[in-house]
Amino acid sequence: MQAALVLMRAALVIYAAGFVTALAAVLREGTRAARWTPRLAAAGALFHTAGMLSLGWGLQRCPLGTLPEVLAALAWVAVLIYLFVWWRYRVEVLHLVILPLAMIVLIISKILPDEMIPVGPTMQQSLLRIHLGAIIFGVGALFVTFAASLVYLVVDRALKAKRPARYFRTLPSLAGCDRMGRLSLLFAFPLLTFGIVTGAVVNDAKYGTPWAWQANETLAILAWLLLAVVVVARIGWGWRGRKPALLTLVGFGLVFLRMLGV
Amino acid sequence: MAILLYGANHQSAPLEFRERLVVPEDDLVAAIHRLIGREGIDEGLILSTCNRTEILVHGAAPAAGETLREFLRTQSHAEPADLDRHCYLHADREAVKHLFRVACSLDSMIVGEPQILGQVKEAYAKAHAAGGLRSVLDNLLQRAFAVAKKVRTETGIARAPVSIAHAAAARAREIFGDLGRSNVLILGAGKMARIAAQHIAADGAGSISVVNRSYQRGAELARELGGEAIMWERLPEVLEESDIVIVSTGAPHHIVTREDAQRIARQRRGRPIFFIDIAVPRNVDPRVNDLDNVYVYDIDDLKIVAEAGMRERRNEARLAEEIVDREASAYIDWMRSLEVAPTIVALRDHMHAMGSAEFDRFRARLGALSPEQQQALEEFRTALMNKVLHHPIQALKRSSTRPGSGQLVAFLREAFGLDGQGPTRGRS
Repeated sequence: MQAALVLMRAALVIYAAGFVTALAAVLREGTRAARWTPRLAAAGALFHTAGMLSLGWGLQRCPLGTLPEVLAALAWVAVLIYLFVWWRYRVEVLHLVILPLAMIVLIISKILPDEMIPVGPTMQQSLLRIHLGAIIFGVGALFVTFAASLVYLVVDRALKAKRPARYFRTLPSLAGCDRMGRLSLLFAFPLLTFGIVTGAVVNDAKYGTPWAWQANETLAILAWLLLAVVVVARIGWGWRGRKPALLTLVGFGLVFLRMLGV
Repeated sequence: MAILLYGANHQSAPLEFRERLVVPEDDLVAAIHRLIGREGIDEGLILSTCNRTEILVHGAAPAAGETLREFLRTQSHAEPADLDRHCYLHADREAVKHLFRVACSLDSMIVGEPQILGQVKEAYAKAHAAGGLRSVLDNLLQRAFAVAKKVRTETGIARAPVSIAHAAAARAREIFGDLGRSNVLILGAGKMARIAAQHIAADGAGSISVVNRSYQRGAELARELGGEAIMWERLPEVLEESDIVIVSTGAPHHIVTREDAQRIARQRRGRPIFFIDIAVPRNVDPRVNDLDNVYVYDIDDLKIVAEAGMRERRNEARLAEEIVDREASAYIDWMRSLEVAPTIVALRDHMHAMGSAEFDRFRARLGALSPEQQQALEEFRTALMNKVLHHPIQALKRSSTRPGSGQLVAFLREAFGLDGQGPTRGRS
């Protein structure tokens, strides 16, 4: 357990260092700091992975038993997804959003009480794991959607304000942000949907009803509905640009709140 | 031997004078032949553009400078007084540095403009073809190309847009990323529209349409840009399909009103549309910029972007100057280091010649000497000179494997007067 804690702390510090290099690259153009950001993020992810493994080893179970564990796993998956997207599409600015988000989630996971999520019989336990896995990957991908939407709005403002070219150098194009937001949402949404359905099944087994109308469940369904509207608008109605970006930000906000209050 | 650069540029000479200096392209090879045929000139290259005419040579130091002036005078029939007023002569380090600055586009009217490097390469090819280049200048030019590349990748002197058309194209890329799939509409066939469209088309636009009140003129421009001319009446439907709209008609009113833009934006469902309004008076209602996903840049907005780009390039130029300065020093240093072996020989010859001369001068005062005494004196002279030479030669040998040897070579050559000045010359 102690080893896991140390490894996680190390991961957190390395992420922070990566964030600092990303920030330095934006504030002082021409620095080579930016080249270190993905390397530091990857190194952090390595420590994070070791931390997750060591945690599971220490507990002798899958480390998804408590809310802090789930959050640590979420931060881990988010960084891995970001690293994949960076490797595939080379969007530099993602560092600036994803790394601090992952850090916040990790820090919160340290603060929250270590209470076990109540589980029933074995069948439920494996179902719970599938539910959590889907949700974690869905929200991890949604981090990228959030980042893309945020950057879209920043670029949009900068274009309207007619800023000099220097300002845009580290930013992707408006169309690029839009595409990234669409693709990542199309990846995240089915996972979240599957996660919510399996969640309802777990609830049903636990409380005898799939829907208990608790505050956090309502929050989840609200977030899902909002994101569903964005998905339909994007695919069905061909929406692009500012409106889906704004709605995505709100949807992500609700999802984030929900994550902190499982 | 030295590297010399003689000529005039847009800063040192007015256009009337630069015009006279221009060496026509078809005369360039012959001119280089004439140049390297002159005494004291070993290798030569001529760079002649609208902003500069410069002659770069490798040759015998003091004579070559005068030869270059004389060459340019006969070449251009300019008055000697004008040549002296408007031309500069750089030697060695300064010449190398100047060449590097030119190749890096630091000496250009618009810092960072890309044409000059091509022109230098062209001059290099011409000089090469004319047989004007051998090891020294060939090597120097290769170095200049490498430095130019380094400056381009390590600094931003060529990055920021500095013209209105360039700024418009750069902004279009900031919105659409790759322009390969964007539909470009040119509204009005004015000169500015043509320039802006060429900048955008150079990046490979998806499609280009031209709408003009006079269909005929629109068709001409469309042909020129490889696009399609469309009747004025079809403007509303074409607008809906366009991503980038370059507007420059002579109309004194708004051709695209806020209501038009609102309707178009609604139909495009959030796909961005970029109006480049370079007409004066403006043809696009400026309030259109307040609509979601619609961006309007008028000529002043683009001017501001271009001016900011200028400032950015000037800042970056400072970094570039540092690189050029370092590279010029390193180059001269390297050149000098090639002179280590000849310098050792020269130093030895020089000192022994000096010893013999002094020995002969004093020998008479000693009167008759036995052969043994005579030999002992000779040996004394040689041994003394060798002792004096020992440390400088050791230092030279040591330095030849290290950077910075060029400075030592230069210093010793000067200290011992190996280049024709100093004690030997003073005495005779």
